[in-house]
Amino acid sequence: MTPSPPSLAARLLARRLSPEWRDYVLGDLEEEFHARAARSPVAARRWYWRQAVRCLAAPPRPLAPSIDLPKRDFFMRTFVADLRYAARVLLRTPSFALAVIGVLALGIGANTAIFSIVNAVLLRPLPFESPDRLVRLFHVPPQDTFPGMPTFAVSPANFYDWQRDARLFEGMAIYQFRPFVLTDGSGGREVVGGALGAGFFEIVGTPPALGRAFLPQEDGPGRNRVVMLSDGFWNRQFGGAPDVIGRTLRLDGEAFEVVGVMPPGFSFDAWGPTSCDLWVPLAYTDEQRAVRENHNAQVIARLRPGVAAAQAIAEMDRISTRLERQYPEANAGWGATVIPLRELIVRDVRLSLVVLLGAVALVLLIACANVGNLLFARALTRRKEIAIRTALGAGRARVFQQLLVESLLLAGAGGALGVLLAHLSLAAGAATLAGQLPRADEVAIDGRVLLFTLVASVLTGLLAGALPALRAGRADLNDALKEGGRQDSAVGVRTRRLLIVGEVALSVVLLMSAGVMLRSLVALRHSDPGFHPRNVLTMRVSLPEARYDTPAKSLAFFDAALARVRALPGVQFAGGIDDLPVLGGSQQPIVLEGRAELLPRDQPTVAVRKVTRGYFQTMQIPILRGRDVADTDAEAMLVSESAAKLLWGDGDPIGRRVTLPLQSRTVFKEVVGIVGDVKQGDLSDPAAPSVYELSRAHAGGSLTLVMRTLVPPMSLATPAADVVRAIDQEQPVEDIRTMDAVLDRTVRAQRFSAWLLGLFSAAALTLASVGIYSVLSYIVRGRSREIGIRTALGARTADVVRLVVVEGMTPALIGIAVGALASLATGKLLQTLVFGVSAWDPLTLGAAAVGLTLVALVATLVPAYRASRFDPLIVLRGN
Amino acid sequence: MWFKTKPPPLGDFEQLVLLGVLRLNEDAYGAAIRQEIHARSSRDVSINAVYTTLDRLETKGLLHSWIGEPTAQRGGRRRKFYALRPAGVAAMRQAYHAIRAMADGLEERLGVK
Repeated sequence: MTPSPPSLAARLLARRLSPEWRDYVLGDLEEEFHARAARSPVAARRWYWRQAVRCLAAPPRPLAPSIDLPKRDFFMRTFVADLRYAARVLLRTPSFALAVIGVLALGIGANTAIFSIVNAVLLRPLPFESPDRLVRLFHVPPQDTFPGMPTFAVSPANFYDWQRDARLFEGMAIYQFRPFVLTDGSGGREVVGGALGAGFFEIVGTPPALGRAFLPQEDGPGRNRVVMLSDGFWNRQFGGAPDVIGRTLRLDGEAFEVVGVMPPGFSFDAWGPTSCDLWVPLAYTDEQRAVRENHNAQVIARLRPGVAAAQAIAEMDRISTRLERQYPEANAGWGATVIPLRELIVRDVRLSLVVLLGAVALVLLIACANVGNLLFARALTRRKEIAIRTALGAGRARVFQQLLVESLLLAGAGGALGVLLAHLSLAAGAATLAGQLPRADEVAIDGRVLLFTLVASVLTGLLAGALPALRAGRADLNDALKEGGRQDSAVGVRTRRLLIVGEVALSVVLLMSAGVMLRSLVALRHSDPGFHPRNVLTMRVSLPEARYDTPAKSLAFFDAALARVRALPGVQFAGGIDDLPVLGGSQQPIVLEGRAELLPRDQPTVAVRKVTRGYFQTMQIPILRGRDVADTDAEAMLVSESAAKLLWGDGDPIGRRVTLPLQSRTVFKEVVGIVGDVKQGDLSDPAAPSVYELSRAHAGGSLTLVMRTLVPPMSLATPAADVVRAIDQEQPVEDIRTMDAVLDRTVRAQRFSAWLLGLFSAAALTLASVGIYSVLSYIVRGRSREIGIRTALGARTADVVRLVVVEGMTPALIGIAVGALASLATGKLLQTLVFGVSAWDPLTLGAAAVGLTLVALVATLVPAYRASRFDPLIVLRGN
Repeated sequence: MWFKTKPPPLGDFEQLVLLGVLRLNEDAYGAAIRQEIHARSSRDVSINAVYTTLDRLETKGLLHSWIGEPTAQRGGRRRKFYALRPAGVAAMRQAYHAIRAMADGLEERLGVK
């Protein structure tokens, strides 16, 4: 039998040892006991007892909880301790903490909100499979005849040739948009549907959530009575019923079978097809497929993996050159190009968003300077506490760390509150934002935004806290500890003056940008569009061809509609046009009678609009010569002043005849009058040469009625829509709005930028004035003794005020000068965004400078006045 | 902290324990260290002294430890093993240099030559 250790000794030890050591010590002793017992059991027992007694006398102490913390965790441990301390200190001065957190929350919140927008619009990929390979194909029209138009819609015949010949694309699909009148139990309303050529959904790469996509054979006339629904439309129209597949929808009076429903992620506003409620097959007839001259379709394509856009453009160039040679009468001068889908969606807003992000970052910088100032003042009031810590052995690094942790805590709280503010303001502004920006419906605070906010908060904390923390660590120990020693004297005045210079300079840059954008907006909105938009009501009526299948039927409808609208009390004049000014429309080649039709690259083009009698009168577009069209005219036409000049030079156009080859080469239209120029496209573009033909001989079609009213226009919206609906109960009336609203909508992007920049510069101005005020108050307090002595020696109030104002205005004026120079540098960025005003506009810069000077002056006057009221006796006795 | 500190000075017994751990490589636990010290320096130290020192050295960040499997030989109890951290090696190196430098030239008087 093997001997075992003396049980009494083992039991005593087990009681005496702390649990964490018990196993190891008893185990070690037993192990060695057995080794020794093999030689001599008695000696082993004696040895065991001897060890036990020594252990019982002084057992190893229980483990300290920190025993496993390696040395490098020291920073974390002190960090946590600093964090607790900082929280306690800040809770003791809640008003200070709240002020700082509030300023930072505004700054960080504004940055978070703008970054959320940038994230959704510019950074997040489109919700398609491999979205980077999705591109759109366009024609490049001949620049001589389509000046200022870099791209153009595609003609069907050219598309089918591209599709057949291009090798670098996985696939391409053609599509258009078609308005439908949807009739259900509750009357008719208009829905815009995407008419999609074969392969569209395969190219985009999104399968339907329910049912199937269109079959290739459905892209042909006769087999195309099928429809796919968007998730939103499915929910609104069918209550999200899962058995919707196979049910029918009445569009333009015909039954369409529902074959599929797209997932919710497929719907977004930024791109035409994804913003539609429903889709039908394009189903061109052979005749429509062969159209080469008329460019009215859109094309989406997917590049093969690894193909760069430049390669694709080169291939399209080769194909276009060949098609030009093959079909010169239709294609001479027409090229093609490839633009990434994403680029197309964001390019108009990218620069504005970058400018806004820059502006909001400046606001945060100003907020940093202000908070830095506050922290600085606070660090100085805590000089004694810091000196005591230093005296007790805290190194400068330790003091620096502790103060920095405080500012990081403040910035963290500001950041958290900022996210909340950003969330609330984005939720509140969602309605405003929609329609201002592409992909506005996708704006949300996601992981990337939170990461951005975290980084911004930490940087803010470091930026605002580093300087004060460094300066505080340098405080003179001896001086700080002395009771009453220079307690109220100004320390770090130079640093704080520098903060003011920075704040003011940044504010000038912001004010200047906002001012220029605002002036640009005003210039744009008040640029003369060629007509008088005030008191004009517009509404669009699209007659479905299925029910209005002859020109006579639609003519009768519009004649009746106009007659009834004109009869409404409060309506002065009324007329109609197919496409309203500033919204774009048809651009066509025009051929004068007696001249040969040239190749497309040489044949002049004009904007072509269809109008009714009374349109010019209603819009107050002057008829410069000749007369308005009359209902009795057969093929009458008016031309704009610039069109007359373009087509006939100095000759007289009245009585001359032209053809519009895209419509007919045999029907001649006679010019009966010349009207003033009207902006048909962007307000920032010059007026395009235009012709107006009498709109009488077209079946179906869409006409926008315009009414000049003697009463506020929107008050007639319901009566006017009602009299039109009274003619045909199923006929919807859409887009009822004033002409002013139409114009406003075209400048919405500029308005959005100008409004936000204005908001940011107001914030900057407020922060800067508060900054100047607080720094100056501090300096004045520090110099109270000097001022007291001066007063005692006979300085007058004016002298004291001058002293303080000069003290405050000097850094402010330096800041204004620096800011003016910086504005000149940033003007380059703004240059392409403004209209009718220079980005370096001296008037705006002058106004910004004067404005800031005044604000700075007001901010200095309060401390100056206070200084002039110092009682020298009290001030001097205080020392 | 953000800056390097010099390794702490070591006591006489701490040096013995550290060298014991170093010498035993991966197999340094209480009994083994005790026997190693006993065998090489003839000091029959108590197990509690060994553990108290090991604990102190670990707190100073010179050692780290891990727990082994229970064995029958130890009545089903586990072993606690120790190994040197880089800081432990540095502290030992410093102690070694100190004793070498101080003893330099005194070998004869100490009778160690």
